Amino acid sequence: MRPNYPLILLLGCMIVVCSSCFSNKKLAANYYYENEAALNDIEQSYRELYKYKPFSVEFTDRDLDYVSITFITEKLKYIYEFGFNEPRLADSIQRFQMDTATVLPLLRKMREIHCVWINNLDYYVDGQKKNMTFLSMKPILWKLPFTNKKYYILTFFNQPQYFDGEGRLLANRKQRRLRRINDDVFKRINDKVCYALSERFR
Amino acid sequence: MDTLSASKYWPHVSPNEFLENMNNNINEPLRIHEGNNTNFCSYAALSYLPLHFDPLGYAKNMVDLYRNGKVQYGRVLLTPSPEIKEAAGRLAFKGELDIRPADQIWFLTLADHFKGYLNFFDRHFDMGDENGFWAATNFSKFNRMIRALFNFKVKAKGSDLIRIRTDDLYTYLKEKLQTGTVALFVNNMTLYQKDHRVIKPGIPTHYIILEQIDEVSNGMINITYWDYGALSLQQVTRAFLERLIFGVSHCTLKKSRKHAP
Repeated sequence: MRPNYPLILLLGCMIVVCSSCFSNKKLAANYYYENEAALNDIEQSYRELYKYKPFSVEFTDRDLDYVSITFITEKLKYIYEFGFNEPRLADSIQRFQMDTATVLPLLRKMREIHCVWINNLDYYVDGQKKNMTFLSMKPILWKLPFTNKKYYILTFFNQPQYFDGEGRLLANRKQRRLRRINDDVFKRINDKVCYALSERFR
Repeated sequence: MDTLSASKYWPHVSPNEFLENMNNNINEPLRIHEGNNTNFCSYAALSYLPLHFDPLGYAKNMVDLYRNGKVQYGRVLLTPSPEIKEAAGRLAFKGELDIRPADQIWFLTLADHFKGYLNFFDRHFDMGDENGFWAATNFSKFNRMIRALFNFKVKAKGSDLIRIRTDDLYTYLKEKLQTGTVALFVNNMTLYQKDHRVIKPGIPTHYIILEQIDEVSNGMINITYWDYGALSLQQVTRAFLERLIFGVSHCTLKKSRKHAP
């Protein structure tokens, strides 16, 4: 039997179209609820640690074998990269007077759920400084072809936010303007947590 | 200066906010911040020079710009367009830049005045253009701006597309730092990794000021640089340094004139 080339081509095209149209957003929206406990744990742990010693964490490679930590002091930001299992990692955490018993478990939890970036981000509302925790995930499930939105970004605010009818994050109560964070529009998960899909993790 | 009356040229910048911003810049020059996701990095980086070497001249010129809506700064007459005057003080969601209206005036005015080939297709400002090609700065434009505005001699090495070639980049930078201020034109995607792509465009898009460079015991190099309103010390390899840097601008104060413009 001769292969039906037009049919194979048509099926191929359909797979391509379906892959590109498949909504990453559905996966993204569910991701928070599926990992809610772990994500909240990471966020709270980070927030507590940040109060005493500001820092940010980034996994720099795809396999999450290398971690870069920015230790923020009054005068300087120190940016170091470590192999995840290198003893140097714990030594440096101690050198910056941070507790390895809380920082290392945080890093392990981040690695487990493919959280590749966490930092504290300042923003301003009516001239007043506020801050949020910014987390980026790279879930392995999302390696769909023909999609360029690679990272699932979560923002944890300290106070309830304002949203429009479509659940998009607004600048504040008075302004109906969308608040962009790193140039991305964010959507509501709950009053204090928002998500976006982004090509960049930071 | 304690008081300044409201300027009709800058309707969205109050004199108090303007002065507060100016005081902060002069007292803490390293805190000047280009804002998140803007293309103002070149303008913030070049501001390092007047803020460190001629804060008085910078302050006088900025007050003139605020009061009169234009200023003769160095060899150029800066006359910002009406769109710029309307936009300054209204840039939002840029982090620290949101509360720095004087810096908004300064960056917007510079981007409006100085043009390079990257600005060819977007020469007119519309809100949001601060993030795009309208504000972009190629290497030659960066050096031209410093020469035109400040009392500095600039020796530039490098280009927009090809990495800088030297026998020993570390030694070259170390030597340059001993005799002047060093601005680096770098690949932002190398300095601040934003995704995990294996193949990345090797194009420089970012300006930083190198403050110190030292070789440490394990063969690594510590670079200390100003960027985004703070000093950072990053430990890097020689290979990373070579991947990172596309241009070096070595700026030295001119001796012929006693006073900076």
